[in-house]
Amino acid sequence: MTENVEVPKELDATIQSMDNRFHDIVTLDDRKSYTGYLVPVENLIDFATSIRDDLGYDYLSSVTGVDYFPEEKMEVVYHAYKTSGGGALVFKVQIPREKPEVPSLISVFPGSDFQEREAWDLLGIRFSGHPNLTRILMWEGFEGHPLRKDWKEPFFEEEKKPYKNRWPEGGVYRIEDEVPMGKNVKYPLGFDPQKWTPEEQTTFKEDMDSEAGDNGSNGSAMHTDQIVVNLGPQHPSTHGVFRMVARLDGETVVDLYPEMGYLHRNHEKIGERNTYIMNMPYTDRLDYISSMSNNLGYALAVESLMGIKPPERTEYIRVMMVELTRIVSHLWSIGFLLNDLGAFFTPALYAINERELILDIFEATAGSRMMCNYLRFGGISRDLPDGILETVRELVNERLPRKIDELDTYLTENEILRSRCIGVGVLSKEDAIAYSAAGPVLRASGVSYDVRRADPYSIYERFEFDVVVRYNGDVYDRYLVRMEEIRQSLRILHQVVRDIPEGEIQTGKALYQVRVPAGEAYGRVENPKGELGFYVVSNGKPNPWRYHIRAPSFINLTALGKMCKGEKVADVVAILGSIDIVLGETDR
Amino acid sequence: MDPALLVEWLVKSGVIIFLILTGFAYLTLFERRVLARIQVRIGPNRAGPLGLLQPLADGIKLLFKEEVIPDKADKVIFILAPVLTVIPAFVLLAVIPLGPEISILGRSYSLSLAGDVNVGVLYLLAVASISVYGIVLAGWSSNNKYALLGGLRSAAQMISYELVLGLAFIGPILLANSMSLKDIIQAQSRVWFIVLQPIGFLLFLVASIAEVNRAPFDMPEAEQELTAGYHVEYSGMKFALFFMAEYGKMIVVSFITASLFLGGYLGPFVDKLPLLGPIYLLVKVTLILFFMIWVRATWPRIRYDRLMALGWKVLLPIGLLNIIITAILVILVGGY
Repeated sequence: MTENVEVPKELDATIQSMDNRFHDIVTLDDRKSYTGYLVPVENLIDFATSIRDDLGYDYLSSVTGVDYFPEEKMEVVYHAYKTSGGGALVFKVQIPREKPEVPSLISVFPGSDFQEREAWDLLGIRFSGHPNLTRILMWEGFEGHPLRKDWKEPFFEEEKKPYKNRWPEGGVYRIEDEVPMGKNVKYPLGFDPQKWTPEEQTTFKEDMDSEAGDNGSNGSAMHTDQIVVNLGPQHPSTHGVFRMVARLDGETVVDLYPEMGYLHRNHEKIGERNTYIMNMPYTDRLDYISSMSNNLGYALAVESLMGIKPPERTEYIRVMMVELTRIVSHLWSIGFLLNDLGAFFTPALYAINERELILDIFEATAGSRMMCNYLRFGGISRDLPDGILETVRELVNERLPRKIDELDTYLTENEILRSRCIGVGVLSKEDAIAYSAAGPVLRASGVSYDVRRADPYSIYERFEFDVVVRYNGDVYDRYLVRMEEIRQSLRILHQVVRDIPEGEIQTGKALYQVRVPAGEAYGRVENPKGELGFYVVSNGKPNPWRYHIRAPSFINLTALGKMCKGEKVADVVAILGSIDIVLGETDR
Repeated sequence: MDPALLVEWLVKSGVIIFLILTGFAYLTLFERRVLARIQVRIGPNRAGPLGLLQPLADGIKLLFKEEVIPDKADKVIFILAPVLTVIPAFVLLAVIPLGPEISILGRSYSLSLAGDVNVGVLYLLAVASISVYGIVLAGWSSNNKYALLGGLRSAAQMISYELVLGLAFIGPILLANSMSLKDIIQAQSRVWFIVLQPIGFLLFLVASIAEVNRAPFDMPEAEQELTAGYHVEYSGMKFALFFMAEYGKMIVVSFITASLFLGGYLGPFVDKLPLLGPIYLLVKVTLILFFMIWVRATWPRIRYDRLMALGWKVLLPIGLLNIIITAILVILVGGY
């Protein structure tokens, strides 16, 4: 949350002094309530390399574009961080809207791969030098780039919500009734849905043919054929509709790439047409296992734009809810990792058993078990009900530590679990940083980076807890990181329930229609799955101008192909389970 | 031929088929209930008292399901494969004595279809291997990559573990100095072979779980990796046949384990009350089945390459060593 205030002066000095080359070229973004630097397109790669190597901003958190339609320009916004901690270095590139072309940063930060593809897909910004600049969330035959402000979807009725015509005279009216299905759906010229086949399959086939000629990749003289297997979209272990296209040599994975977008609903476009408060319940649907954390990320972004802070009691309640969410998510993840390994549902159900108790707490406070919609700008929707603190106390002080130990006892030392997990899906420290991996995936690779510590938000600097790190970067370490993080969350919760003060829960008046001054903000939180970021641009109107989500599940998948290469088919499932994706967030 | 003998065979065959069929049906219920208990759930308890009518409901449901045969499948083999898989499970039980000889109306009956076949053990091994064809052919004829991978895995796995299974058979054979199951059971009247052959017993247990493709060796099915492996394209009753084969084989394997190592139908007072024999056997079989379900409920799956390594590099040498030691001891101490 610190990155959206003023850039510290000394940082400014470093960047000016780091290299005389950039002294005159890079300018400060001086729009009101904007931060960061404007970099000319031709210097972008130089600049990125320089901040990575000279200034230590080695972690590219987010890449996204903004369509400044009225000014006829596009902007690509990069948020870079140091893995040693601290605030963001925001740099931006502005390009004309008719021909938006930016050099790809994939050579400097490989983690920008999927994010650049997403920006190309949704905003039509061309990243020259990207090896595979294809659509990632929309389908290949799609016409147009939906996040552009002049793109209108089928059944378009109005620019902004709330729509005026929903209840003209007390009766419901929908534009869908006026426009028959499909009448205004646009296809590319000469496109026939019946005959269309995606291109990537043919390219994969060519790959195959070129390699089929050699004597097999196992080094023996025996001729082996490779087969392409689609793991998904209907597959029990992809945790939703997700597809991995794997090229197999026997049981060994030669090549694998993830294919997503089956659950895509253009969350960001819908979010940009919603009013600010309407997006709060909508963030629940991102990572639907941990809705409270999603709420917090969005609330932080908008609150920093509004320049308000929630009262003390609310901060405590927020931290309590978010940490409970982390336990929920990690329990779920551990249970389903074991499920993927073939221990069919026994560990998962014991983990879910505990999750239910936490969901009971959510139900009592927020009114809903999964889609909590609990946070408000500058507050929360309602205070804790009577007696719920006692329940939480009992849970975090008595029951959960015992149950976590129990899970630990039965799972961690299990011989089969160890043999399946140790040394599988290794991601080195350098790769983890380069690929912008986040959360337990990053920390299992030996990077001690937790947003709660590195760049504290809310009131996390008050609590005592350890950032869990493991050093081997394999499936087993990711499992251990999650197990230990549950304990650390319990430690934080222990302090929360001890210290929680009485008092107000809302700063100012709770409003349906908040006034958000123009500007930009990047709110990021350490979600259970990794760093979740909300990049919000306001132009002072009731709806956000840009509403972008840095989804950890999505970006963590960038490294999936690399982790899976050379492993067995059975491991792919375990590796995917250890990344712990939620498709609601991946596909948005 | 004696017509009475013919009737006897028919009746016994009927009993065996009945045993496997109801056994299959109620084993699924047993498994689901036990699994549910282990997984802090309740399990099916709605259909009939204690859910006892659940298998019936499942059976009816499967019968009425549409049978889908994939367009590009090899239809003849596709239909033949489940039959090939299920038949061995039925005929295996023929050689296993379910109890001592009993006499009714002055005529003595042996409680098995062919209990005193002198190569009973060989028969078991030979017939049990047939079902691998069904699985491989099912995987191949479905024209599906998951199914093919499942079929290939299962071919490799079953062939490897058949060797270990065969080696584990040899211990009791050496000790009993006979390949007839009846003799092997009788040889255990003083002490069960599990005591004399503990390593052989463990080998047999591991290999037989692998042989029937149960967790943690359920590689060919591997729900999480290969969706369902070789039977991914099957539906309706053909799908049920694969399950019938799996559960039938579980039952048969339990019978074999009980007969080879746990004294079969032997137990206190069997000499005086021969009808106690089948009851003892059933109790032992149920315990072994419970053990298999317990293992399934608690352990993750072993990875395929490690499974093969375990079979060839660990179990096979141990099995060979076990035979050599047993043989030397039998010569030195003398068998039964």
